[in-house]
Amino acid sequence: MAQILVVDDSSTVREEVSTFLRGGGLDVVTAVDGKDGLAKLKSDPAIKLVVADVNMPNMDGLTMVEKIRSELKNSTVNLIMLTTESSPSMKERGKAAGVKGWIVKPFKGPAVLETFRKLVA
Amino acid sequence: MNDKAVSKVLVLDNSTAHARTIKEFCERNDLVPLKVRKESVAAVLRTNVDLGAILYSEAYGDTPAETVRIVKEIRALRPELPIIIRREKSSTLDDLAPELRSGCCRAYTAEDLDSLKAAIDQYIFSLIYPNALLRGISEIMDSVLSGQFPNQQVSFDTPYIVHDRIIFGEVLSVIQLESNWCRGYMMLQTEERAFLDLAGEAPGSDDATLFRRVNDRLSEVTNLAWGAFKNRYIGDSTTIASARVQVPLVVNHQHKYISFGTENPQLCFRYTLTDMLMGSTSTLYVRFVFNLNWSPEDFREIAPDADGLVSSGDLELF
Repeated sequence: MAQILVVDDSSTVREEVSTFLRGGGLDVVTAVDGKDGLAKLKSDPAIKLVVADVNMPNMDGLTMVEKIRSELKNSTVNLIMLTTESSPSMKERGKAAGVKGWIVKPFKGPAVLETFRKLVA
Repeated sequence: MNDKAVSKVLVLDNSTAHARTIKEFCERNDLVPLKVRKESVAAVLRTNVDLGAILYSEAYGDTPAETVRIVKEIRALRPELPIIIRREKSSTLDDLAPELRSGCCRAYTAEDLDSLKAAIDQYIFSLIYPNALLRGISEIMDSVLSGQFPNQQVSFDTPYIVHDRIIFGEVLSVIQLESNWCRGYMMLQTEERAFLDLAGEAPGSDDATLFRRVNDRLSEVTNLAWGAFKNRYIGDSTTIASARVQVPLVVNHQHKYISFGTENPQLCFRYTLTDMLMGSTSTLYVRFVFNLNWSPEDFREIAPDADGLVSSGDLELF
């Protein structure tokens, strides 16, 4: 039963983020794109936090969070975007879909670990 | 860094009388002259991946036939490279042998360097790259590479204008750049083994794993550079729908050649990553190919919103 779902098409990023979070005592599961992420979230009710990229094949990260909100209406999962994108319009779209926070890559684990811990508590 | 782009030109001209004139012309016009021995010309052309043009001489061969043969050889090896020929008396191609006339793009004489200047403006510096863009790309790549390879020293040359289409190394990534002032691609090229060595991948790992690791690593470097470029220079601007023209990209594996469907010169940045402990190095070429639209007059850098300024890596909570 994982606490955090990391969704990124780059295995380098998946490995980097999940290794860091596991080292910080968190349980992590990974997904390779939005479609995979949505399926894994639906199958694991213990997930409290989703950390997702925006630009991914098959289903992008913002479409994924919009689907989470529309298909899992009772879900209280926290959504954080970890992406190279920083445009205001992207962030607005994320906010509208219920995204709680935005991180522009590269990932700097120590800067966010405590917040992640609170979000899965 | 010098934030004005330069271009390397291969000087195939043995005239001692004009050597100084050509050298000084190159210095004044942002050209880096390279000289090679005649017997090495073919080898250099097969390997040198960042040339802008060739400055040739009508008297380069020991005989007129040899002068023609060398031009034909250059055209066969590197058809994309403009050949500008120095003549003794005339700045035109008109009375040259047919093979030279068809193989060379312009002629000049040592007394008429305006013709040479016109030729390099037309064939090398035909696209104007704003200095702020060159400086910005250098900063972006330096930041991305330093972040991805924290234990390596990152160094880079002055940006080049190149005409060649030779693929460097075994691995390349290509990603689209779309805005109202540019449309084209960013392309990264590197050598697999050297890149993996610096990324800390164990040489004993099986080939299938390494193959995927290098792809993924280069993909992430590309993604980070693309994202930073987009955030700094493109933002939310959208390309006019009617301008969504595409042309095929052609890759010839036999000749390690990639074409973006245009003869336009490309903007090239060459990075060297050095492992300070082992001394090993890896080279990364980053090319910008604005083959679909280039309107530098509309280029602008997006000023970050001071109120919402969040450093990369920090969590911005909504």
